[in-house]
Amino acid sequence: MSTLEELIWLVPLLPLLSTLWIGAGFLAGWNRGEAGENESSKVAIITSLLSLLLIVAIDIKALIYGIDETIIVGNWFNSGMFSINLSFTLDTLGLLMTTLVATITLLTIRFSVNYLHREAGYQRFFMLLSMFSFAMLLIVSAGNIGILFVGWEVAGVSSYLLIAYNYNRNNATKNATQAIVTNRVGDASLLAAIFFSTLWLGTLEWSEMAASELLVSESGGMQLGLISFTLILAAFVKSAQIPFSPWITRALEGPTPSSSIFYGSLMIHAGVYLVLRLEPFIENSVTASWALLTIGGITAIYGYLSALVQTDIKSTLIFSTISQVGVMFVGCGLGWFEAVTIYLILHAIWRSWQFLNAPAHMHSMSQPTAPAPIWLQRMQRLYAAAMQRFWLDQLTQWLLLRPTQRLSKDIHAFDSNVVRPIIGSSNEINVVSSLAEWEEKSAICDLESTSNSVPLGSGMFGSILQQIATLFKWIEEHLILKGGGDGMVSAIKGMESFINKVEQQLSMPRYLLLMIMATFVVIL
Amino acid sequence: MSRQLILDAIPHFEHFLPGQAPIKDFVHHNTLHGYQHLNFPDALKASQERTGARGYELDERYRDYFKSGRINLSDLNSSLEQCNSDKESQLNIDEPIFQIGSNSGSKEFTRRDIYLQALINPLPAITACQLSWEIEEKNCLDNFQEDISPEARENILKSSTLHGKEAEKDVVKDLWSAILEQLELHHLAIHPESLLDLSAEEASRFSNSISNELGQHSQVRQESTQLFNKLVERVGKDLTLRGLIDKISGRDILNNIRPLLIHQIANYLDEGMSAWHSNQQQDGFYQVWRQSATLDSSWIFDDLPEWQDELEILPDDALDTIIVELKRIGIDESRWVKYLEEIALEIPGWSGMFLWRHLNPGYKNLTPTRVEMVDYLAVHLVMERLFAQRVCREEWQLEANLDVLRWYFHRRSSEFYVRYHLFNGKLPEYLVTHAKPLTDGGLLSPEDYPKWKEQADIIWTWKQSDNSDQDSGFSIYRSGWKLFRLFQHLGLNGSNVRTITSEQLRSVCITIANLSEEQRGLIWLQAYERNYREHFFNAVANNHQRGLWADRGVSTEESTSTIPVAQLVFCMDDREEGFRRHLEEINPKIETLGGAAHFGVPHFWQGVDDKEATALTPVVLVPSHEIRENEQPQCSLAQENHLKRVSLKERVLTWFNQGTRRNFILATVQITIGAPVALALLGCKIVSPLRSGNNLKKLNSWLSGNNGIVTSIDITAEKSTNPTPENRQLGFTTEEQADRVESFLQNLGLVSNFSPLVVIVGHGSISQNNPHLAAYDCGACSGRHSGPNARLFAAMANRSAVRAELVNRGITIPESCWFLGSEHNTCDESIIWYDLDKLPTGLKSNLQQLQQDLRDTQSRHAQERCRRLASAPKKPTLKQALNHIQGRAVDFSQARPELGHATNAAAVIGRRSLSHGTFFDRRVFLISYDYQTDPDGKILERLLLANGPVGAGISLEYYFSTVDNENYGSGSKVTHNVSGLFGVMDGTNSDLRTGLPKQMIEIHEAMRLQVMVEAKIDMLTEIYMRQPPLQELVGNGWLLLSAKDPESEQIHIFDPTSGWVEWNGERTPLPVVKQSVEWFSGKYEPLTSCRIENSSEAKL
Repeated sequence: MSTLEELIWLVPLLPLLSTLWIGAGFLAGWNRGEAGENESSKVAIITSLLSLLLIVAIDIKALIYGIDETIIVGNWFNSGMFSINLSFTLDTLGLLMTTLVATITLLTIRFSVNYLHREAGYQRFFMLLSMFSFAMLLIVSAGNIGILFVGWEVAGVSSYLLIAYNYNRNNATKNATQAIVTNRVGDASLLAAIFFSTLWLGTLEWSEMAASELLVSESGGMQLGLISFTLILAAFVKSAQIPFSPWITRALEGPTPSSSIFYGSLMIHAGVYLVLRLEPFIENSVTASWALLTIGGITAIYGYLSALVQTDIKSTLIFSTISQVGVMFVGCGLGWFEAVTIYLILHAIWRSWQFLNAPAHMHSMSQPTAPAPIWLQRMQRLYAAAMQRFWLDQLTQWLLLRPTQRLSKDIHAFDSNVVRPIIGSSNEINVVSSLAEWEEKSAICDLESTSNSVPLGSGMFGSILQQIATLFKWIEEHLILKGGGDGMVSAIKGMESFINKVEQQLSMPRYLLLMIMATFVVIL
Repeated sequence: MSRQLILDAIPHFEHFLPGQAPIKDFVHHNTLHGYQHLNFPDALKASQERTGARGYELDERYRDYFKSGRINLSDLNSSLEQCNSDKESQLNIDEPIFQIGSNSGSKEFTRRDIYLQALINPLPAITACQLSWEIEEKNCLDNFQEDISPEARENILKSSTLHGKEAEKDVVKDLWSAILEQLELHHLAIHPESLLDLSAEEASRFSNSISNELGQHSQVRQESTQLFNKLVERVGKDLTLRGLIDKISGRDILNNIRPLLIHQIANYLDEGMSAWHSNQQQDGFYQVWRQSATLDSSWIFDDLPEWQDELEILPDDALDTIIVELKRIGIDESRWVKYLEEIALEIPGWSGMFLWRHLNPGYKNLTPTRVEMVDYLAVHLVMERLFAQRVCREEWQLEANLDVLRWYFHRRSSEFYVRYHLFNGKLPEYLVTHAKPLTDGGLLSPEDYPKWKEQADIIWTWKQSDNSDQDSGFSIYRSGWKLFRLFQHLGLNGSNVRTITSEQLRSVCITIANLSEEQRGLIWLQAYERNYREHFFNAVANNHQRGLWADRGVSTEESTSTIPVAQLVFCMDDREEGFRRHLEEINPKIETLGGAAHFGVPHFWQGVDDKEATALTPVVLVPSHEIRENEQPQCSLAQENHLKRVSLKERVLTWFNQGTRRNFILATVQITIGAPVALALLGCKIVSPLRSGNNLKKLNSWLSGNNGIVTSIDITAEKSTNPTPENRQLGFTTEEQADRVESFLQNLGLVSNFSPLVVIVGHGSISQNNPHLAAYDCGACSGRHSGPNARLFAAMANRSAVRAELVNRGITIPESCWFLGSEHNTCDESIIWYDLDKLPTGLKSNLQQLQQDLRDTQSRHAQERCRRLASAPKKPTLKQALNHIQGRAVDFSQARPELGHATNAAAVIGRRSLSHGTFFDRRVFLISYDYQTDPDGKILERLLLANGPVGAGISLEYYFSTVDNENYGSGSKVTHNVSGLFGVMDGTNSDLRTGLPKQMIEIHEAMRLQVMVEAKIDMLTEIYMRQPPLQELVGNGWLLLSAKDPESEQIHIFDPTSGWVEWNGERTPLPVVKQSVEWFSGKYEPLTSCRIENSSEAKL
């Protein structure tokens, strides 16, 4: 007989079951259309309610009797020194966060029942909300970074799918792509953290990491620094801190409840949660504290100033949200972890309320928003910058998206110009594909039949001579005679322009960057 | 000269830009108000050409109606005949086309048969790939088409047996080959990609079949040049530079411009959402933008190196800038205005809002006061050219100028040819994969040019092949497939087809093509309207002399028995039809009337808690009078207290709601304090909306301490001050009051037989989380609540001085009669009463009885409303129904608190007796008018003039938002995002969405309002001839007018071309029920009429 807290795995699993159920139902066709709305939303609500009840029960038990802080349900996989347990952390932070997530998701799902009624994407929406709920619950209850990473990824994917909820709209899909591309940076960073932790700490478990000898040893500064750095970077991306903020300000394309739960209340705090988990590391690393202070501080100011000029409710809310999240990072940098934990929870609740009420905000305004302070209003340059959101948007386009796009184009060109000819499936098959070509070919045909041969020789010598003669003729004809058009001259010219292009390509920053990166890899 | 031309043209932009006011002042209006001078079908067409928005429902929707019996064959036939009578349409429906069979058993097919098939069954053109799919996957050559009727199927099989073919497979194959034979076409079923690999035979056959005097490539060049010229010719007609560039590069610079522009406009027009605005606002938008742009560094990241230099040389004046820019692009002066119109249409929602503010200077005294359309156009133009410049540079290293582009593409016609087809045509995928890399790579050097040529040749070849969709002659995919489907539906087999000549087939094809999308839409719409009309007329004719209160006893002898126990005057609103019907069912001794709910007393209203006065008037008027509500002296202390509390509450709410999104460090504190309350609210409101809603109301009222505060209104001015809207007069003089009361009572026809209690019922709608709140309110009061008007009217009519004056004018209101004002909340059905303290004690019991009846009415009406709400309980009890309806109103997760005017279909201007006792499914506007009190038609004339546009506005807004919600409506509410307090966007970067959201129109049935007037047609004709506004609305077909003869069952339909035509439709007796609920219970679809025995035949 297992104890209550050992059922903690059910908390994230239940919403996952709901996702699978709704998804399966949609594929099989039993819950499609308006008739299937009721079932889909009921499944989502019941599973979330059960999750919530379970975690509340565990809370109560923890409060009265106390429970083990780490629950290991099983082993996910082992490979050499690398092993990931199916473990959960039920310390105060874990319990608080899990309860918060379960509560807000339940309320948001219930809210969506009426709000999304008769939407074409109803089932999809509930499926994704459940999936997100699974992801968030996993993140906050995970006992190790491996499990957290799973939640991290699923949250990213469900967010991507919900931004593109209205996938007929160009803006929605484009912004969704930007969100997921930006988030890749954080994901890569988290992966690196997993790698470093395994390498240097020999564990991914939060509890063991916190108790690691490295923390007290003199020599581990570098290693600790790298682990914290990668984790904090991941946190910055997920919580949309500078310079990664633009993805979230463009993510508000989905239905109001999804904007609320993802960007207003829950997902944006995932990064802060990660940093809270890092408490022992940060307390031992001045650099990490400074990073948090600086980036958090800058983001807070950035969010504040940008929020002032926004005129649509969702944008003003999101900017003030990232500003407050920046404040939380500053709090972490100052070492006020408990205060930040409490504020995180309050902030999540408040934003969830505010976002869900966003359509009515205009009616609740009895007076215009109080104008910005006079000293600020005088600074027109700052105003222009705030209007452009400090160009972060364009900057990320410039630094991230466009090089990626160009890279893919280059790869495509490489593929079609180099790889395909080599492996033979050339896309320039030598066939007639247009009438003009047909015309040309039929004109040439007559010529070729007469001119393309040398006099016939007889005997062995004769035939050898003939072969040689043909070869020379070929050389003469193809490389020299045809000169201007498609002979050697043009071959050389072609070579030249090709080399030019290669050189040009190589001088572009992205390749420079690639080469530098390659060099690093070799050195490491 | 041209400067003035531009300035003069700008106000006319309102003809094609959305004219929607800021969303808090939403008032229903004809979405195509700018085209109202045109005929309805022409207007729809003109708008479609301009904006691409569809004017009719999709064929599929109508076909669904046809299948479900909402449109029948006789409707369609009648509509076809109606369209046929229009000479321009050239339908010639009775012209025979071909004949099947020999003389004895021959059957003639006319154009009508073909039209009908083309309407009922889709006869689309098909692509090569689709045909392969149909043949290979759906076995269309082995089976009949799925949608073919059993009779047609039987016919074909039976007649084929005579020719020795029995199996379905053979019959269908034979039909297909017969068609191809007759058309002399060969279906080779070559896969499109095999065109890339032409065999020698194919190529030579192909090349022989095409005349090539010039040589293939020269033809390509020639065609390309023509195409290019045609395209450039469109710039300044229906295309902008951005459009042109999009068409030749596939790069839409609007995507770059839109976010930059939107943020700037929104911040400029903002009504209080943002905390920080430019400090140059007084200089106009152009200057604000210029300053902001100069300080902006976007150009660095956007690859716009010329940004700074360009900005420096811009003229200071917006209009000059416009002219400079137009010249630089190379637009001919004669096209400037047109070009600017097209620019405005690029982002119609935002342009429309800008223009609205331009045309309504001084709106709400907002800053900036200066909103000039030229500023906006100038900014848009500059941005367009800058970004176009970037594309032109990157793609071709050219200037963004029409002449330069012309010069370039005349030299490189192959490049243009490839680009044009790649980005505009429907190139098959295999060609796209070949052509796309060319445009990606930027092949600019002359060495690369042969690649363009080669690709152009390939595309040209593809275009010549059967696989492309050619416009001329017969083709398998267009003519062949259409005929294949048509003949199956007509029940004809292969042998039949072989007797039809190719000339006849050609004319069949032409006939199908004759029916354009718009033509089909119009035919369907008319058929659909006719179907409703027939039911509606039948119900009215059936009700002749059945309804109560037909005769008010214009004769002087009044007997008390004919006086109703109470008279309730509602708004003409279609939503009140149900409410009135239920009330009359409950107590047949009550009479109800309807009128526009401004009740003839437009004024500026300032409630006791209001900070400023708002105009409660139809949107076309600006009142000159102001009415203030004041607390009664004994309550002044309480009121003072209340106001303090309210202001404190507002400050607290503002501190939290706005502070948490505006402040920085303070926000942290605010959130920390506010969050626990938010959690409690969130939980309660989501888990139990109704209970928490009620408790919150109680809490609110306790907090604001307004219990027991009695207010009154000062309505009387001592003497007239010759008021104007700027110089308003407080209250109305007795004379003015008498004028207004007289006029409105005359409108109603209520000039005698007054009940002891006359209740004037205004209305409004209160719901949560709903940016479109005003769209549910009273249209006659500019989208506000009309309760104050009801209260004001009642107060006027109760004054003895006014009554005395009215006696002089022939209206005697007995002393025993008392007027009461009230307001009906159409969302949760509640009713507020005004000035009950002044009610004579003798009438208290009357009122109690009435209130009891109204309470029953609320539940019954709620029950009826539930039937159209998908999430409401099915077959609810009265209690359940009312709970559901009230719950919706306070549920902040409800995107459909109520359904508004959805399903409105008709209007009756006449006595209640005409509609009394008949179920009209909440679809009819009811406007009281008594022909007996209006011998010279003056009253009717003003009623038509005032209410015609209101009804048309509501009905047409619903119409257009329904037929094309994407373009005329505002899409789904769930992704809406309120911007600047004046409109909604989709997400954070879209155009401003105008019109109605999807949630408001999803059950609406798009048709024009059927206006029935109970009057003599001669009188109506006279009025019509006198009134150009009516000629526009009715004559151009925006409203459908009919007249019911007051004294007989006769109904006449007004046809704008031929005048009055007597209706002689089928008359069938209506089903009879005791109560409405028997008729609608368990039914969720629109219902036809029935008669309600209880209320119509009750003995008084």
